[in-house]
Amino acid sequence: MGEIRAAFAIARKDVRGFSRYRIAVASTVFTPLYQFIIPAFLFGAAFAVNGKAAGLAATLGTDDLPGFIFFGGLIGGLIGMAFWGVAFSLRTEMETGTLEPTWLTPTHHETLVIGRALGSLFWFLISQVALFAFGVWFLGLRLRVEMLLALPAVACAVLAMVGVAYLLAGIVLIIREANFFVDTANFLFGVLSGTAFPVTLLPGVLQPIAFALPTTYAIDILRVQALGARPLFDPALEYLVLIGLTIVSYPLGRWVFGRAEEAVRRRGMLAQY
Amino acid sequence: MNLFAADLRAFGAAARKELRQQRRYPTLFLGQLFWPVMLPASWVLMGQAYSGNDSQALAAFAERAGSSNVAVFVFVGYAMYNWLSVLLWGAGTALRQEQMRGSLEAVFVTPASRLVPLFGPGMATLLPMAVVFASNFLALRLFFGVAPPIVAVVQAAAIVVLGIPALYAIGALFAASVLRFGEVGPVVQLIRGVFVLACGITFPVAMLPLWAQVGAKLMPPTYIVDDIRRVLLRGDTIADVAGDIALVLSLAVLTAILAVVVFRYLETSARRTGMLGRF
Repeated sequence: MGEIRAAFAIARKDVRGFSRYRIAVASTVFTPLYQFIIPAFLFGAAFAVNGKAAGLAATLGTDDLPGFIFFGGLIGGLIGMAFWGVAFSLRTEMETGTLEPTWLTPTHHETLVIGRALGSLFWFLISQVALFAFGVWFLGLRLRVEMLLALPAVACAVLAMVGVAYLLAGIVLIIREANFFVDTANFLFGVLSGTAFPVTLLPGVLQPIAFALPTTYAIDILRVQALGARPLFDPALEYLVLIGLTIVSYPLGRWVFGRAEEAVRRRGMLAQY
Repeated sequence: MNLFAADLRAFGAAARKELRQQRRYPTLFLGQLFWPVMLPASWVLMGQAYSGNDSQALAAFAERAGSSNVAVFVFVGYAMYNWLSVLLWGAGTALRQEQMRGSLEAVFVTPASRLVPLFGPGMATLLPMAVVFASNFLALRLFFGVAPPIVAVVQAAAIVVLGIPALYAIGALFAASVLRFGEVGPVVQLIRGVFVLACGITFPVAMLPLWAQVGAKLMPPTYIVDDIRRVLLRGDTIADVAGDIALVLSLAVLTAILAVVVFRYLETSARRTGMLGRF
């Protein structure tokens, strides 16, 4: 019970701290809009024939361009949450010199990661509601009731990303220059998951990596349920693999985080960067 | 040594200092190799998803973009995006960095012209910019097998060189303006976002509503990107885009004057209120 309280206290602290920076809060909506959603929509619309995304229909089995972009962006936002909201926030604590005092509290160190994940989840939900509202009003995004059937897949992806966040947090504790690592790894994870285009278009050598990521299946299931897109595999099989990868990623992430933590404590690296 | 020669030396020293700092952080150059390759490559694959290799879809794109060669279209756009990123995060935040390190007041106490700290750091963006363009060109060739004719490449390089003063002036105007803001990162994102959406970086300007197309015509990157694409994709020559280049150079002069005016105003205001060292 104490750990749950601690996790929510950490989340509350993160939410309160971030909300003080109004421009930064606005940029959680504005940045995905200008970096991905609007350019991708207008780029895709440039291929439209008589107002229909015929090319996308040939590739994916649906001509719902805004849906394709927004549902990819949803999982992309979830990936960003694990990379920036959880893993990189440890780095921020290192820089502000508050990581050591935090580490000395009686709270389990794993709880620190969970608390950050909860705080990031809050901003993720707020930003996604704003982005989807923008999509519905300005870009013709249509939401179907069937998309609710993909909720278990999204929930699995959230759990899997908590495992990935543990793994990343472990790496961030060890390496000195985390910014470049987090930025590039976040981008690659998103691209390989198929947030922006179907993974079948990736070069052959990268496809096995794509199929080892839980988010690849979550995006595919989401697009199948919400847009009626052609699935990569049988959706039942995709669910099975997604659950399997979620079960693996959580303990794997915890194990890497535990090892990294032990290493930094032995080497006295907790406050170094 | 007369005053002008002394300021010129100070200008060289300011550029050298920035370059030396870049050398101390070699991991920054990794980003200049990674992003110019990976970002446009992912957008080319997006283009493949959107076109579905459908001839009608590609013809529709060609009608709006002026060419059906999606790879070159995207890579040229992203060369500008990366150039803007280097500019805004580098020269654009140089004064702000000095402010945060507490060295801006010390710089202002020197007898060098105020134009030195305003325009000097911009020189240091030329090296990363060259790395970005080289990475872009190599990636286009290696991953997508696109090799534009050498004459077209030379002319595109000439357009880039002629576009440098305009981008330089944008960097200086931004650097002067951000002294007003407490949190500079989101402002960089906002300004870069405006350029990305308005200047035809990832999609044809023709896709924008009319009012936004008029706004785009006031921004030098719009012309630079379009002219490079015309030279590389449509076989136009430098002479064909001479009017655009003259316009870009005129906009460069106007932007530089505006940068100096904004800088002078903020400096006077900061000296009166004692805000120079605060952030």
